[in-house]
Amino acid sequence: MTSKKYYPCGQSRREFVWQMGGGFAGVALASLLAQDGFRSQQASGDDSSEKSPEAAINPTSPKSPHFAPRAKACIFLMMNGAPSQVDTFDYKPELEKYSGKSLPEDKKFINSGGRQMGYLTPAWRPFRPGGESGLLVSDYFPEVRKHADKLCVLNSCHTDSHAHGSALVAMNTGKTLIGRPSLGSWCVYGLGSENESLPGYVVMLDKRGGPIGGQPNWSSGFMPATYSGTLFRPSGDPILDLRGPAHITRDMQRTQLDLIAQLNQRHLAERQIFNQAGGQDLASRINSYELAFRMQSSAPDAVDLSQESQETLEMYGVGKDPTDEYGRNCLIARRLIERGVRYIQLYSGGGHLEETWDAHESIEKNHGRHSAEVDQPIAALLADLEQRGMLDETLVIWGGEFGRMPFSEGQGAPGRNHNPYGFSMWLAGAGVRGGMNYGATDEFGFEAVQDKVHLHDLHATILHMMGLDHELLTYFHQGRDESLTDVGGRVIEAILG
Amino acid sequence: MHPSKNRWLVIPLASLFVATALPHFAIAAEPALAIDAESTDDQFFEQQVAPLLVMHCLECHQEKTPSGGLSLATQNGLLRGGDSGASIDEDDPKDSSLLARIHDGEMPPIKQGRSQKLDDDVIATFEAWLLRGAPWPENRRLELYERTSAVRAGRNWWSLTKITRPSLPADYANNDSSAPAINAIDAFIGAKLRSENMKSAPRAEKALLLRRAYYDVIGLPPNDQQVAAFLADDSPDAWEKVVDDLLQTPQYGQRWARHWLDVVRFAETSGYERDQEKAFAWKYRDWVIQSLNEDKPYDRFVLEQLAGDELPERNEQTVIATGMLRLGTWNDEPNDPEDYVYDRLEDLVHVTSTAFLGMTVKCARCHDHKFDPIYQEDYYRMAGAFWAGPIAARDREWLGGPNESELGIANVLGWTDITNQPSPLRLLKNGERDQAQQEVAPGTLSMITDLSRDFAPVDSNVKTTQRRLRLAEWIIDPANPLTARVIVNRLWLHYFGQGLVRTPNNFGFTGEQPTHPELLDWLATELMDNSWRLKPLHKLMLMSETYCQSTLNSEAEQYNLVDAGNRFWWRAERRRLDAEALRDTLLFASGELDQQLGGPSFRETVSPEALEGLSQKSAAWTASPESEQHRRSIYMFTKRGLLSPMMTAFDLCDVTQPCGQRDITTVAPQALVMLNNPFIHQRGLHLAEQILSEHGEWKDRIEALWLRVYARSPRADEVQLAVRYLQTQLPVFAQSDFAQSDVEGQAAQPEALCFASLCVGLFNSNEFFYVD
Repeated sequence: MTSKKYYPCGQSRREFVWQMGGGFAGVALASLLAQDGFRSQQASGDDSSEKSPEAAINPTSPKSPHFAPRAKACIFLMMNGAPSQVDTFDYKPELEKYSGKSLPEDKKFINSGGRQMGYLTPAWRPFRPGGESGLLVSDYFPEVRKHADKLCVLNSCHTDSHAHGSALVAMNTGKTLIGRPSLGSWCVYGLGSENESLPGYVVMLDKRGGPIGGQPNWSSGFMPATYSGTLFRPSGDPILDLRGPAHITRDMQRTQLDLIAQLNQRHLAERQIFNQAGGQDLASRINSYELAFRMQSSAPDAVDLSQESQETLEMYGVGKDPTDEYGRNCLIARRLIERGVRYIQLYSGGGHLEETWDAHESIEKNHGRHSAEVDQPIAALLADLEQRGMLDETLVIWGGEFGRMPFSEGQGAPGRNHNPYGFSMWLAGAGVRGGMNYGATDEFGFEAVQDKVHLHDLHATILHMMGLDHELLTYFHQGRDESLTDVGGRVIEAILG
Repeated sequence: MHPSKNRWLVIPLASLFVATALPHFAIAAEPALAIDAESTDDQFFEQQVAPLLVMHCLECHQEKTPSGGLSLATQNGLLRGGDSGASIDEDDPKDSSLLARIHDGEMPPIKQGRSQKLDDDVIATFEAWLLRGAPWPENRRLELYERTSAVRAGRNWWSLTKITRPSLPADYANNDSSAPAINAIDAFIGAKLRSENMKSAPRAEKALLLRRAYYDVIGLPPNDQQVAAFLADDSPDAWEKVVDDLLQTPQYGQRWARHWLDVVRFAETSGYERDQEKAFAWKYRDWVIQSLNEDKPYDRFVLEQLAGDELPERNEQTVIATGMLRLGTWNDEPNDPEDYVYDRLEDLVHVTSTAFLGMTVKCARCHDHKFDPIYQEDYYRMAGAFWAGPIAARDREWLGGPNESELGIANVLGWTDITNQPSPLRLLKNGERDQAQQEVAPGTLSMITDLSRDFAPVDSNVKTTQRRLRLAEWIIDPANPLTARVIVNRLWLHYFGQGLVRTPNNFGFTGEQPTHPELLDWLATELMDNSWRLKPLHKLMLMSETYCQSTLNSEAEQYNLVDAGNRFWWRAERRRLDAEALRDTLLFASGELDQQLGGPSFRETVSPEALEGLSQKSAAWTASPESEQHRRSIYMFTKRGLLSPMMTAFDLCDVTQPCGQRDITTVAPQALVMLNNPFIHQRGLHLAEQILSEHGEWKDRIEALWLRVYARSPRADEVQLAVRYLQTQLPVFAQSDFAQSDVEGQAAQPEALCFASLCVGLFNSNEFFYVD
């Protein structure tokens, strides 16, 4: 008999690693590998035949990208409800001229919700140049404007639905129909996660509620649930079931875990009498308990802002009205990125209508309220990432599920209706060219006309920056190689620095 | 005609003259024929060139809308050339543009950034063909799906060929008639194992086997008395009695209905912004349970779901069955309602073709199927069956279905046509509505040779189009090779852990091929010979030695080297409890399981944290009274915008698309649920209080606990383990602060809470979680 060094489960090191339970999002068993998605392919650009057993068995272990990535992580600042482009990042002086007139008849659109159609209305707050580039940003975002040189504003975005439910799901999953994996799922599927005791894909909602449609917005769709987004709360226990009943202390639980381990060891030994691999599934599960136990402290640690300096807290607006909530979320996002989390989505606005950026009633009232909540935190995030040298490797995305109409909702009605035909988003960090506008809407800010960016193009570009080729990143499902961008999508090369 | 073209034609015509003397071309498909310089031009074409053209060129260069104007389906097309001119140069064949484009890798075109340039030997064949003068047998028309190639399935794909009942393997067939009959499953599995020099594992221990069968048939474990009775029963038919009894219990239907509900994307809300409840969806769930329990023939089961409203003997139950067509997601505010009609069609085509045929027909919505012999026109033929239904935008109150008067029955979720004279359905180029093409007559798919048919129009006095009825009849036609194969494979999958075809929803080219094709076909014919009744097949599988073998095989070390995936079935597969079995077993062990059959679903208690994901937060969710929450998980209300966090943690499948087999993951958040979720602690406390009240001695209490959770007595070392645990924890629990405890029963004593923590420990063990 050869002498082997034995590790916790009575196996050699190699076998132990192979059987490791865990990864926050975990270990798929061999049976999983045999199924659809894993049958003949691996997500990364590696030659799958050369994969080590470790990489092959843990779907969220770090994987090589298709090419050198610009970003290791991505933070999507989701302005739920859809901010108005002509009031924020798409300056349209012509609207002054046409103020009070109707949009020309030859401009065709769906009047979402059959609302009142009013008159072209200029921006509710003035635009001013920011940074050395002089990029124009309105007074809804005075703090963000200070970082104008970091921003690459895409003025020519367009999407496939005028309704919140399907547009949100499209911005997150590429299609207006629910049931597909979200952008974060694709990232974690393609790249794995750098931290096994935290989820690789985190979603933080607005306290006022989730986005319309709920779960399908961060679902992994037809991929294993392993890749779905994990809802994260900004204080206390950030994820579900992190703590048991109050009367069970950590020590008491440790004793309980030891009991479980002993029950399991005997059970395992009986099933390994003929071969070590015979207990692989069981060993994985045993190991997942140790990881879970550690997560009970590592996850709260990630949201423990008492570790941050007063200066930092103030910069993000933590502890102050109305920036506290989004400030915390932005700061936690930075802490999660530091811990290796791959994709984070921070919702601003939750629930319905005025609780979100859905400014039907009044742009000034609605956007005034919501921009005040997020402007300082977002600026702080950009500054903080930069000063820590993390901005180069972090892609920050800002935007909503669509934009808003350049006209009002009736005579003297200060709100604007939904507009999927043209809207603005911006990217920053990860080597994106800053201080620039890309693409343009028509003179009214109504529809994208120049260098149009469909949401598939946006998704292709985001994946590209993460080191993934949107055409090669596929998941085999129901007889088809599915991808985020399906048959569309083009990387916007012009904005890459 | 251009004079040079005439010259060009001289060569092939000469060879064709010879070809006509040859027998039918079919012989050319025989691979046995050697190809040499002396083969005739026709042979050369059929054996060498036709397969290459079909495989590499025809997908784009077909007849109807040839890419670049060049059709390579016929000789005429070849000679005519394309938009950019002649494809062949008759003066200097080597200079043909066809060859040049192949040579420089322009054709076949780059795909997803990767060159598709043909191999040198393939190019050499094209060259040789052109040098021969590009001979083409007279009137020969190539067709994309005429044969299976290395890149796609043709109509001769294995799953599309006729099912014939295979004979039993030879050494079993001449089995002495006086010996006990051998289970046919074992005959096929055994023959393959022996050919690989392998042996199946010995029979599993009786207690493990009983537990396996209970979970597989009814989704619950046996209790300790049932185990003891089986262990004590030495009669030769002890096992058979267990099998028969289990298949007669109503729990059988509850368990197996769950598998079917996955396949038909069952949920009880619409999804999207308002995520409206689809009232009475639960009646469909009950119809499935009832149908399985009464062993409704599978062909009838299919028929009622697709066309229960069109049957002459239609009644409330057959209309409820059509609820299957209502279960999909429904968006009351699609971007463009007229486009959305086609998304709804896709859902209906997809669920029907996936559930019953195991084929991915939906891929042909925008173009001919890339991998399976399904033309785009086929997609629209099949979609025509649903075209007369309520798929267009109508009153939102009807949630995308027929209204009560159209359906003719109140308080059910059902489907029917809303006209018997729908407008013609047109094929949409690239699936785009503004590119409508020819009208497509409703009918079946053409992939099954000799079984394709159009749906005849109905008389104007018939209420519906009866197209779904015609479609259902085609699906359940015994000559349809897919239907029986697909359902017996689903049965096999749930008994053996994997299907004989390991992609249960995909019997096409991109799916897996059967590990035991003869066995699959034998089972399929057995099903049809038994009037499509499923229970005899269940019994056959349960009675097989293949099913009854242990998960442990003494030769595992060696067998793993050649067959780690257990494709030869040399052992049973150990399986983790799925989400429903886990939750049901927790309630079963704590003595709280409410086994009431049928009725509206209950809504579980969801923590406020989990409700944060809803745009309407708690307003959108009201939990049912605690007393209703102890029902089996199949009765749990499924809301698309808020799937149960606990069930999802244990791999509940996505509920928007058909799911044939759930993922099985082992991840740390599952351990968090089992250690911390209040539901687990409540079950533990309930069990602890019961045991403590019934038994005074710790020894008896531990014994009782093991019997309740594992259905066996503890071994001596396990008693010691439990005693040591309690000795350590009891004093600590006595000092613990219960003021904050959120487990039910605030009055619970430290002793009970401590014993509850032991119960929870057992719930967390692998013995509880896995079925051997």
